Amino acid sequence: MIDAIQSLIVVAILASTLISGSLLAPYVVRVLTGTPTRLDRLLDPLESAVYRLIGADPKMTMGWREYLFAVILLNVAQMAIAFAILVGQGVLPLNPMGFPGLSWDLAFNTVVSFGTNTNLQHYAGETALSYFSQMTAIQFLQFTSAATGVCVMAAMVRGLRPGSSHLGNFYVDFVRVLTRILLPLCAVAALVLVALGVPQTVGGYVTVKTVEGATQRLLIGPVASLVSIMQIGTNGGGYFGANSAYPFQNPTPVTDVLEIYLMLLIPTTLIFAFGELIGRKKETRPILIGSYGLLAVDLAVAFLGSIPAVGPGIETRFGGFFSTFWTVITTASTTGSLNASLTGINPLGILSAYMGMLVQATPGGIGVGVMYMLMYVVITVFVVGLMTGRTPEYLGAKITARDVKLVMVAFLVHPIAILVPTLAAFATKAVDAIPGFSSLPTSVAFTQVLYEFTSSAANNGSDFLGAAANTPFFNFATAAVMFVGRFVPIAILLALAGSMIGRKRVAEQSLRTDGAAFSFVLIGSILLLVVLTFLPFLILGPLLAYFQGLVNFVG
Amino acid sequence: MSTRSSRWRKYRPVIALSILSMLVCGLAYPLLITGVAQAALPYQADGSQAQLGGRAVGSYYIDNGFTLPAFFHGRNETNPLTASASGVDPDITVAEALSQVPRISNATGIAGSSLVALVKSHEHWTLWVAGTPYVNVLELNLALIAAYPSSYPGYA
Repeated sequence: MIDAIQSLIVVAILASTLISGSLLAPYVVRVLTGTPTRLDRLLDPLESAVYRLIGADPKMTMGWREYLFAVILLNVAQMAIAFAILVGQGVLPLNPMGFPGLSWDLAFNTVVSFGTNTNLQHYAGETALSYFSQMTAIQFLQFTSAATGVCVMAAMVRGLRPGSSHLGNFYVDFVRVLTRILLPLCAVAALVLVALGVPQTVGGYVTVKTVEGATQRLLIGPVASLVSIMQIGTNGGGYFGANSAYPFQNPTPVTDVLEIYLMLLIPTTLIFAFGELIGRKKETRPILIGSYGLLAVDLAVAFLGSIPAVGPGIETRFGGFFSTFWTVITTASTTGSLNASLTGINPLGILSAYMGMLVQATPGGIGVGVMYMLMYVVITVFVVGLMTGRTPEYLGAKITARDVKLVMVAFLVHPIAILVPTLAAFATKAVDAIPGFSSLPTSVAFTQVLYEFTSSAANNGSDFLGAAANTPFFNFATAAVMFVGRFVPIAILLALAGSMIGRKRVAEQSLRTDGAAFSFVLIGSILLLVVLTFLPFLILGPLLAYFQGLVNFVG
Repeated sequence: MSTRSSRWRKYRPVIALSILSMLVCGLAYPLLITGVAQAALPYQADGSQAQLGGRAVGSYYIDNGFTLPAFFHGRNETNPLTASASGVDPDITVAEALSQVPRISNATGIAGSSLVALVKSHEHWTLWVAGTPYVNVLELNLALIAAYPSSYPGYA
């Protein structure tokens, strides 16, 4: 349990993300709708030049197939560039440490991981990646995958909006989200992080003689610029293998709180933006209550367990409270950065982390969090319609059998992508290739492998295994899961949005979706769906470990 | 020819935008931040390095690896079961620091009460109010050397 001061800190941080989100939302809406802003005089000529250079007509609009095609093609092309850079880093510039190129399977896993906004890492950046790779492969994909998330949400919302005729133009969305939201916000955050102690240099590692005269290397690099987009873009992949536990990424409790805030900032902003984008401000309410209500449940579950003391896997400057708090937020926002080793977190904290990754909408990843919540809304509208015997409607449109089939497939992608490979990993004995794995208690071993695939499918990226999972099986299996977990739901939800275009809308819905009552039914149905799907597996993993009396997952 | 040029028209935005976004997000952005950070905040940008006797001896944020009995020790040299998540945790709890006072007092002859007072005066709190009070090991040892130069000959 946590004390009064710690509870106040939790409430204060969540309140500040909610306030910032509501203040930032009108600006984001202007960017996504092409409404004039003050930055226009500076950015309009720049953006026009970009459209001319890439040969895209900014006035052209796209249907869902065109939009999806452009999304997947651009993302794959960007992954291909990053792949070439990672494999070839040995002959590329800005490599003062002289690191060789990555193996093909590791490079493949890494670019899929970053290109899907997952950021699962089967390598330790400080001993494997050159400065050039950290910037032009890792930070590059962190920006583009985050921007893609905002774009596909905007496109989905355009389709759902009453009176819509198209999903927008992906290239315009992509350029505007980068130049007007992500790049400026990250530049400010990066410089604040430097001021608070996060390094930013390309001058090479520094070798010093310690006070006692031993030789020590200080692993400095372009860290702050990476950390800013990694948190703001809900990416989560760290500069260092130890991620945000490594002091150069997160040197003080102040940076810790700032980074927690940054993880929640844009996903929360997009919830507020949703109502305005859809043209019915009140429709933000169920999304907001649903996501923050479930986040409160996650936090309550995690803090119910005993908070670990400073000990194995916990950094002194954060302690058990901030480590547990971070773990809940980083999974609820599907960011996946960690400020402690997961092995140091108590089993209920891990259970709560699972909940964040299984729901994917509390508030979820940048852009896609709102999309998943809309998926749950459609399912809930349908279920409530069945129970009350009324026509299911959302945003004035009738929800058809085909719509429900689509969202159910989008939902089912997730358990299939998690459970099948988890079982395959044990059945094929692929887990035996993980060093030290055979000596772990069964509940701990199962928790770690289930977590690996849950984190991959949810595009979260936090993990127990880290570089220990750098085996061909885990590199290819998790890459496939990350790709499916990212693009199949996006494709289905864009198809759903596309099919809503031109559909007849009624002014007065028989069942209102913008009230508190619906919001609580929504929370209930999400819990029911997720718990029914995953409970047997959670019982074999973290719940068993909890009832075995394990304090943490050291094994 | 016409199919080739129409194909180029179709794929040109994808190819051009993927390269352009790499140049802007992957090179221009981090290098611009590096330039500003190096000009405005060089101390932090280079890893908050600690100085002793006019030379850099490490970073305040990275465990300095103290092993001599006359110094406070970090938590990373012992066994992996008590290790921190980063493996370079620069801090120890105040309780841990106080438990090391008798050893340092024995090795240096500095009074235990003076060492306790030094620890207390370098106490940090997580956000001033939460967590367990802790000390930065390098900061504490540099303060020790500065306060008792005769007990640490050859260091200052």
